[in-house]
Amino acid sequence: MIVLASSSTYVQYVMDSVAYGSLFALMALSLSLLFGVMGLMNFAYGELIGIGAYTMFYTERYGWFVMVLATFATVIIGALLMEFVAFRPVRHASPSTLLITSFALSIGLQKFAYMVFPPGSPRTVEPIPWLTNQFQVKGVLFSRLEILTWIVTIVLLVGMVLLLKRTALGVQLRASTEDFRMAQLVGVKANWVISSAFAITGFLAAAVTILYMLNHGDVRPNVGQGPLLIAFVGVVIGGLGSLGGAALGGFTLGVVINILSATLPRSIQGHTLMFAFLLVILMLVFQPNGLMGSIEKLRRKRVAQEVPRVAEEPAS
Amino acid sequence: MSAAYARAEGALRTVWTPLVLCSFMVLIWLVITQIVNQVFYNDEAEKYFLRLLIVLALQMFSGNSGILSFGQVAFVAVGAYTSALLTIPTAIKQFTFLSMPHLLKDWVFPAQFNALEGTIAGGVAALVVAMVFGIPIVRLVGVAAGIATLAILVAMNVFIQQTSSITRGTSTMIGVPQTTTMRTTLLWVMLAIVVAYFFKQSRNGLRLRASRENDRAARSVGVHVARERYIAFALSGFVCGLIGALYGHYFITFSYLDFYFDLTFLTIAMLVVGGMGSVSGAVVGTSFLTVIYVFFQRFEVNGIAGATVPSGTADVVMAVALLIALILRPKGLTAGREIPWPGDWRWLQRTRQPQAPPAAQAPSAE
Repeated sequence: MIVLASSSTYVQYVMDSVAYGSLFALMALSLSLLFGVMGLMNFAYGELIGIGAYTMFYTERYGWFVMVLATFATVIIGALLMEFVAFRPVRHASPSTLLITSFALSIGLQKFAYMVFPPGSPRTVEPIPWLTNQFQVKGVLFSRLEILTWIVTIVLLVGMVLLLKRTALGVQLRASTEDFRMAQLVGVKANWVISSAFAITGFLAAAVTILYMLNHGDVRPNVGQGPLLIAFVGVVIGGLGSLGGAALGGFTLGVVINILSATLPRSIQGHTLMFAFLLVILMLVFQPNGLMGSIEKLRRKRVAQEVPRVAEEPAS
Repeated sequence: MSAAYARAEGALRTVWTPLVLCSFMVLIWLVITQIVNQVFYNDEAEKYFLRLLIVLALQMFSGNSGILSFGQVAFVAVGAYTSALLTIPTAIKQFTFLSMPHLLKDWVFPAQFNALEGTIAGGVAALVVAMVFGIPIVRLVGVAAGIATLAILVAMNVFIQQTSSITRGTSTMIGVPQTTTMRTTLLWVMLAIVVAYFFKQSRNGLRLRASRENDRAARSVGVHVARERYIAFALSGFVCGLIGALYGHYFITFSYLDFYFDLTFLTIAMLVVGGMGSVSGAVVGTSFLTVIYVFFQRFEVNGIAGATVPSGTADVVMAVALLIALILRPKGLTAGREIPWPGDWRWLQRTRQPQAPPAAQAPSAE
């Protein structure tokens, strides 16, 4: 791919990109979970990161353990409140209405943050030197934060897989993703499943927030918007509603963006995101099921051929 | 009743809604400029007209097709920048756009358009961009369309921000002549109301609304849904471009930040609160939210009975208003109805009959 780069620079790009991509994999996964369960593309997810960032800023002085705990607590509570206040009343509305609702919630929370935390004195989360200091191994720069990001991502992804495959809640979540109404008919409690999905979203968001903020530091009301938009793209590339696809899509996109912004000529480097978003439009038209969706479709077709049809699909 | 009278009534009924809405606009203009005539309210009225124009443009596409677009503000930006480039005096352009590519330079620098020419040029540029983006957009529905239009907005924003040789990037545009007056904006608003209403009533508008209600049924009677959407999208893009030019020539200095989420949110909130389905809805929503917004802004600055609210309340109230509307009245204040003909209460009686069409709303909801 890159002939000019020496092998250590090459490894460096890959290492940085993997850490960067992991965060988007986690974000895309949680967005996709909510989309699957209730058809909600959650704009307000960025504000969960915002909530987490402000919590980190205010609890930092009490030590990292308190900070991590407080961040998880506020973000999960924030996610559950979001569901209860804004999304529960419109649960049965169409996905596009849900999208507008989350848009309104997102902007509302941002404006609220501007109101409560007026701009002026810049707020930053101080980096923890033990984590962010870089050390060199054979010409490749590492930081413990990068390694921590990989570990957390892998642990959370494995945890999610176990949760989805091995627990009753996981089965209910997957069933609701397949067909929400049918799942309710066979006894899945809608409130329980949706609240759990939001709680999981909050949990992942808190982890993302901590890893992201330790690296970026700058706390602003719209701090979550930038990463959210990239994660949106990741979800689309992975396929709307496909959990594995979203994680893969988010990861791939993060890696590609990071590599592009390091290797593109300087004159068009800034346009990387523009290309990503134009790609989304094309992807939605030509490959709406995303990378994973196409594979999934093939698998289902095969399953459908093996199992004889018992009922006609209802006309929508 | 004589035949001539019936014909006159029929003609009046046809133009009733735009007539009432336009009269309302003239009334607002008269009250603000002739009776109130304070700088603050003149300014707010001008902003109201400009926002209403965007909401009307949004209604032309989203209201009729049922596909909410987050991307129309991108076309507003195209109009604003195009018109600015073509109307800024040559002497200023020579030192503000030092790094513009020669190909464009030779053509843009000598251009000295007047206000109307600049506005039309802005519209045409936005039309071209909308016609390109329209090709994929019209094939999508629901969340996919929402994300794709959002992608237009973000991609355009990144483009403006990063292409500093043409758009001055993160710096503001300077030297744009101030040519937009309240009277010209008023004329454009009335024109937009007429265009939006008659587009809705036109053959294309009817087909598009049919596809909004039931996509498959519309296809089955031969409606080419993608084509109808494309026409509406292009029309809306053109109007957005015109508005962008007016916008630029009113605010004189603007940057990429002026055409992003804030403006998108405000206009979508206004359209949804008023009711996407009708032109009256666009006007009602914009008027309603503007009144609330200005009220809270005054509350922040001057206070009422000695009490003030923290600055930024007005923005939060907008978001809360949209959330409440989505929860309580998802079809908006007008629920897709236009201005009723006076004394014509048939729509009211129809809802009482058992075979009432399900689309008709309860009259108490007005």
